[in-house]
Amino acid sequence: MNINLKQGCILIMLAYILIASSFYLIAKEQLIYSVVSKEMSTSEQLLPVGEIVEGMTVVQPFILNADTLESVSLYTATYDRMNVGELTVQIIDLSTTFVLREKVFDLTSIPNSGLLEISLENPIQDVNGKLLAIKLTSNGEKGNAVTVWQKNDLSQGQTLLINGYPTDKILCFSLIGRSLSWVGQYYFHLALLTGISLGSYLLRLMMAKKKGQICLGLRVIDAFVKYRFLLSQLISRDFKTKYRRSVLGIFWSFFNPLLTMTVQYIVFSTLFKTDIPNFPVYLLIGIVFFSFFLESTSMSLMSIVGNANLITKVYMPKYIYPVSRVLSSSINFLLAMIPLLIVVVFTKTPFTSAYLLLPFIIVCLVVFCMGMGMLLSAAMVYFRDTQFIWSVLSMLWMYSTPIFYPVSIIPEKFMLLYKINPLYHFIDFSRVVIMQGVSPEPQAYLICAAYAVIMLLIGGLIFNTTQNGFVMHI
Amino acid sequence: MINVENVSMRFFITQDKIQSLKEYVIKFLTRQIKYEEFWALKDMSFEVNKGEVVGIIGRNGAGKSTLLKVISGILRPTIGSSICKGNVVPMLELGSGFDHDLTGRENIFLNGAILGYAKNFLEDKYEEILEFSELGRFIEVPIRNYSSGMLMRLAFSIATVVNPEILIVDEILAVGDANFQEKSKARMLELMSGGTTVLFVSHNLEEIRSMCNKVIWLDGGQVKMIGDAKGVCDEYSI
Repeated sequence: MNINLKQGCILIMLAYILIASSFYLIAKEQLIYSVVSKEMSTSEQLLPVGEIVEGMTVVQPFILNADTLESVSLYTATYDRMNVGELTVQIIDLSTTFVLREKVFDLTSIPNSGLLEISLENPIQDVNGKLLAIKLTSNGEKGNAVTVWQKNDLSQGQTLLINGYPTDKILCFSLIGRSLSWVGQYYFHLALLTGISLGSYLLRLMMAKKKGQICLGLRVIDAFVKYRFLLSQLISRDFKTKYRRSVLGIFWSFFNPLLTMTVQYIVFSTLFKTDIPNFPVYLLIGIVFFSFFLESTSMSLMSIVGNANLITKVYMPKYIYPVSRVLSSSINFLLAMIPLLIVVVFTKTPFTSAYLLLPFIIVCLVVFCMGMGMLLSAAMVYFRDTQFIWSVLSMLWMYSTPIFYPVSIIPEKFMLLYKINPLYHFIDFSRVVIMQGVSPEPQAYLICAAYAVIMLLIGGLIFNTTQNGFVMHI
Repeated sequence: MINVENVSMRFFITQDKIQSLKEYVIKFLTRQIKYEEFWALKDMSFEVNKGEVVGIIGRNGAGKSTLLKVISGILRPTIGSSICKGNVVPMLELGSGFDHDLTGRENIFLNGAILGYAKNFLEDKYEEILEFSELGRFIEVPIRNYSSGMLMRLAFSIATVVNPEILIVDEILAVGDANFQEKSKARMLELMSGGTTVLFVSHNLEEIRSMCNKVIWLDGGQVKMIGDAKGVCDEYSI
């Protein structure tokens, strides 16, 4: 397959147009709207407001900073009995006392100590900043009525009003709304701008090639063309020797993640109860992604030291060694996606077009691992302790990444620590794509890409400045 | 073709090689790190023109191998620069990068790629390599089962299949049994006489005399003498 620079540039432009437009189709919903939710926490002490009987009104004012209000959830209780009557839930505009939406529930359908979700088929528009309220009334009789939970209001919010009188409590409720996001509004402008800058850079490359100038882009392309064959040979070597002389051979790439998942599934679904929906898929995504990270980094850790006899005898760019290791384990990673898809089919998780977004996160992870691999392999040359430090560090990293536990068990104060863990973002991205079948929010793309690029830059920089000394230290 | 300018190569020799962070910190704090500088090459300058066959002679530790490594790009000189125009094939060691779990055929491609050959080139020359190495059907056998002679034959065949513009040789003229030794010697001579620029380290003065048209005599990391083969060799052997 030999293509010249011009054809390559045209291909890149066509691919860009295709990707930009199909991305819009896939992720339209998440690009245009961002979900705004106001969650209640039920971790504090909850109290019932008392039976809601005929003539009693429970009003909870709220302000939602979103364009539309999509759904409201209440935490209800029935005193564990079958009640007769109806509960009327109204969303009112407090300034005009207009009833915006009204829903009537039969008291027998109210969950006991559970969530009553009121999704509005016709979302309320233009709620941003307006003072709205949830109003509850019922025709239940005393001893035959339901109640809702409230809690002590610690924050300065709007407090609950009962029969028009303010209390010092707040209702347990949550809201989900949507806002127009600027990314969606200006998507085509952004895409066009990126396309133009990409196109002009490619033009510049072609001009430079014609004039015989050397620039970074051309050097990268040249290096790729020159070392493509070497890279492919090294990758196939790694891959061939990995399973040579084992009976099942390549099938271990499938079985390994499946078996790990089975073991952890048994442990975490029977010994430690988790209430994560679709736990097998949740678990397997974490396992597949993290074990790729682990495998590729620990393989590239040894890549320079282990190839000492080559490095001192033959000249080739030294970054080839860690990069080829990461790429050969990414073949393994792609193979491990197959059992993941099988589990997805088995658990009847719906396939959507959002799966086409997976290559993005795979590329991000591979680039991230390359950066990490370069950093580690360079460190290993100077300090052999790196391998032992890394084995402890990677274990710590594994436990601090939500692979088999939900993010929700992390206390709020440690959330920042989680937010700086790049693998958390990578795994979270793929979970949103695979389990919810939708595109993540626009900023998730930005965060993942930024982590990948920054890691590559750090790793590449350290590798580059130290590589001249490698020969003398191995 | 090859331009070596003021090249100096410094190595640090520590009393004992520090290989762990703990050791380093302790030694650093107690100021026990003693570096001893060692200049393997000192301010070396010379030029090799296209088509010249240059022999490098000198005693052990004179810096011959270091010089070849600097020219082939494996080591970067501490001071000065070494510029090569054209594709360099360094034959510093045969069979570097062989993987013992792969078959001979797979190793031809792997080792060829490491030496910088193109894919098409290897595919074209595959038969030639196979024929020259006399391995026959053993080519499909993992090379961990090869005898050392077979390994060397394969390695030599891969390394010499090219017609490089610059060939850098560190005493690997003869490998294998008597028959193959003769064959490989003929191959080397053929390579060297084909208009290729050759840098050639040897302790065999007869070889140097007969093949080289220029000789560099290294001593203690410095050029002691540079000139035509006969003159330098006569001087060296005294």
